[in-house]
Amino acid sequence: MRSKSAEDWFVDSVNYVLLAIVFLATFYPFWYLLVVSFNEGMDTALGGIYVWPRRFTLENYSTFLGDPKWIKAFGVSVARTAVGAGLGLFVTSLVAYGLAAKQLVLQRFYYILFIIGMYVSGGLIPYYVILRQLHLLNTFYVYVIPTMLNLFFLIIAVSFFRELPPEMEESAKMDGASEWTVFVRIVLPVSKPLLATMALFLGVGQWNSWLDSAYFVQSDNLRTLTFRMIEIINQGNVPLAGPSGDIASKVAQVTPFSLQVTAMVIAVVPIVCVYPFLQKYFVQGATIGAVKG
Amino acid sequence: MNAETGRAARTAVFSSNSTASRSFWQRLKRQKYPQLFVWIGIVYLGVFHFLPLFGILMAFKDYSVTDGIGGIFTAPWVGFRYFEEFYHDYQFGNIVRNTLALSLLKLVFTFPMPILFALMLNEVKLRWFKRTVQTVSYLPHFISWVVVYGLVVVFLSGESGMVNHVLMSLGIIREPIGFLTSPNNFWGLAVGSAIWKEMGWWTIIFLAALSGIDPAQYEAAQIDGAGRLSRIWHITLPGIKGTIVVVLILALGSLLGGGLVGSNFEQAFLLGNPLTADKSEILQTYAFRMGLAQGRYSFATAIDLMQSVISIALILGSNYVAKKTTKTGLF
Repeated sequence: MRSKSAEDWFVDSVNYVLLAIVFLATFYPFWYLLVVSFNEGMDTALGGIYVWPRRFTLENYSTFLGDPKWIKAFGVSVARTAVGAGLGLFVTSLVAYGLAAKQLVLQRFYYILFIIGMYVSGGLIPYYVILRQLHLLNTFYVYVIPTMLNLFFLIIAVSFFRELPPEMEESAKMDGASEWTVFVRIVLPVSKPLLATMALFLGVGQWNSWLDSAYFVQSDNLRTLTFRMIEIINQGNVPLAGPSGDIASKVAQVTPFSLQVTAMVIAVVPIVCVYPFLQKYFVQGATIGAVKG
Repeated sequence: MNAETGRAARTAVFSSNSTASRSFWQRLKRQKYPQLFVWIGIVYLGVFHFLPLFGILMAFKDYSVTDGIGGIFTAPWVGFRYFEEFYHDYQFGNIVRNTLALSLLKLVFTFPMPILFALMLNEVKLRWFKRTVQTVSYLPHFISWVVVYGLVVVFLSGESGMVNHVLMSLGIIREPIGFLTSPNNFWGLAVGSAIWKEMGWWTIIFLAALSGIDPAQYEAAQIDGAGRLSRIWHITLPGIKGTIVVVLILALGSLLGGGLVGSNFEQAFLLGNPLTADKSEILQTYAFRMGLAQGRYSFATAIDLMQSVISIALILGSNYVAKKTTKTGLF
């Protein structure tokens, strides 16, 4: 082990300090949300809260949980995440499995068609007209049907299935297993890394999505958590807005601001709980995706 | 490519006596399930990706949404009327400038950041420190732009925002900075929030490239007396040059969408507001407002189409330049 030179010391110290700053700049905003969500709203408004709640309370959360509007929005978000990710996972891997079949007639043609589909788009308005024609507007289906096939993951899944040892499928078919049984009982169970990565990204995409809730539905029963957040953030953002009525004045200690922050915490917590565990999978996935372009 | 042909050759050998001798229809019948699975995808593709392409015709027609899909074909032609109308729109100059400026600024300022961050992490010997910083750094990639918008409001809004509060109480500024309300701050806000959200994510690919560099090179350089910075400059950076070029081409390909970090639309839509519209209105948001909010479908489609045309020109252009200069291109 050779001793550190002066340059080593210098580079190391600057590096560690800068990285610590990056860490804080990323971590602190989330920490601050958590702190404010556990602090009395009126007290937060006085300022001076940075690292720990001053007047601890659960009232922000109980207000959130007591408001049918927020509960409904939370439920819609959970439902679209579960159904949307499940359907997307199933359809995408099913189509990919078909496309990966050996000696598939027209395979090359299909493959090119999917690649083209990935890059062309008619734009927002024609898309809207199609959704309207299919009577998907203002229904729950508009959240989960258009996302049921993910072309990016389709391409990844095809190359994954092609790498599977063919003997596995062949021996199962010799034993009389149908194509469907092979897919569900043999292919899917050995594809867990792929499925976990897909589930993470499809689920996160559903959970975070807001545009479809804002423009493809009008019914109050179908609004998502993200949509309600935009609503409340915009309310607080307009300097001269009057009292927001329904939410703000119910509980004196809860302000629109503290409620907004609480909603943000609730939107972030599921993601924080899931992504570190899937880290090793998506690090692989991201690298493959980018390398294959 | 090699793997591809190798696999094809292998399967051909495997099946030369059974499958290849069967007729086309027998083959098709035998693989009816895989075909069925693929066709589920083809139907989806047709409805959600190819059918909307016909909708582009709307840009040249007088279309009303009550006409349904058939109306796309039967509505009367109006030629380039809507393009002309947009060209004479008083906001036209601003919108095109904002679209290009936002895209270019984001490319220039966000592209180097993950490379720098990867180089910095690569120098860290403490494994737990490296791992913690990295894991936290890509959390923002997974959260919604809506939450980022909320954070921007919490930290940067005029009077109640923490940053203004702290700066004022330290006496650094007298008046709160209008991060969200002053048009001149919008581009900076967009670039900054994009870096915050996506830097950690794109670091993953550069770190993967860094791990492929042969450690023997560093040892040799060390024996030759090269210091830390000179090793980074002469070994590390050249070692990931290929990856940098590939990622740069990817970024150029989606320039108008916001490059690597994407999200031009989300940023302009959520972080922009009527006060900053001079600098925050871009082609996508304008098309969106005209189309879905005001119901001017043909006009909005024309604006969308202009964006696509500029995009394609930029992709072809950057691919051409990349091929000329680095011999690496997308197609």
